[in-house]
Amino acid sequence: MIAAAGRAAAGQTSPQSAIGLTATILALAAGTFLLRIVPLAVLTRVSFPGWLERWLRLVPGAVLAASLAQALLVQEGRIAFSATNVSLLAAVPAFLVAWRTRSVVLTMLAGMAAYALLQNLMA
Amino acid sequence: MWHSVWRGLRATIPVALGVAPFGVAYGTVAAASMAPWQAQLMSLTVFAGTAQFIAASMLSEGAAYLPVLLTGVLINLRLLLLSAALAPHVASAPRALQPVLAQLLTDESFAVSLAEFEGRGSDWRFCVGSGLAIFGVWQVATAVGMAFGAAIPAGLGLDFALPASLICLLFLLVRGSRAVLVALGSAALSVGLVLVLPGTWNVMVATLLAATVGAAWKR
Repeated sequence: MIAAAGRAAAGQTSPQSAIGLTATILALAAGTFLLRIVPLAVLTRVSFPGWLERWLRLVPGAVLAASLAQALLVQEGRIAFSATNVSLLAAVPAFLVAWRTRSVVLTMLAGMAAYALLQNLMA
Repeated sequence: MWHSVWRGLRATIPVALGVAPFGVAYGTVAAASMAPWQAQLMSLTVFAGTAQFIAASMLSEGAAYLPVLLTGVLINLRLLLLSAALAPHVASAPRALQPVLAQLLTDESFAVSLAEFEGRGSDWRFCVGSGLAIFGVWQVATAVGMAFGAAIPAGLGLDFALPASLICLLFLLVRGSRAVLVALGSAALSVGLVLVLPGTWNVMVATLLAATVGAAWKR
């Protein structure tokens, strides 16, 4: 569902949205570059207070968890916590494989296989 | 000069090969939400794995560009820590090469470089080589992933490739009880906030709330 919507969006990109997306990529690149170069260029030893360092380290995991929860539990703007939510069900084997193997390839294969199987079963 | 660069490159190859599956995974899923050249452009210019996955994920859900940009920057704020910690080790590098050192900075090359510096002393040339190893492998892996993603026919679960890769990243990134609690809180908040916040702002607001409470919490 998710990628299908994305594929449709990518397939029908108007010139404006292609420019908008490219500009977004370049703006993210510029912002990221600044974060990388400013402490290097300042050269004076910067040290961060403990709470700020903790905060900076917590942020990526929090974003991942929030995005994942949205991808699994929200469909068309509503919470879809049900046994017919194929994404949610396929997440179970994916979680197990990720936990046991820590391999992104195996996790993807397990999740995709479960998703395809469930889709066929429910169709 | 080139000897140190080469040494950094060689020392980082094993780590770079460990990163390759994530590059392939990114390429596979990114092709669904953007043109192949845009996905490669992101690997070349942004060159930060987690932010790239999240951007691809948000775009595939039809997010507006501003939340995608701000969420990406939010994730990458952590690079400030790496850059600040690396700064004294590369202080002798020519100023003209600072942008190169900066652009090549990742968790992986940072870890390999600092381990090297502990034993052999600081050498910015080593950092360049180390960064180039990760950079090169990441570009090739992105391209391979896109070819791979294009070859998978619809109906083989490709729609779930992105959530599955996020699940694996989550296991690798969230370490320790504080981080686990923050991740759970952020997940619950983002779903709850969907009902009141339009678009994909819920992810950012949930992250800011959960990370701030988590960082302030005293044990």
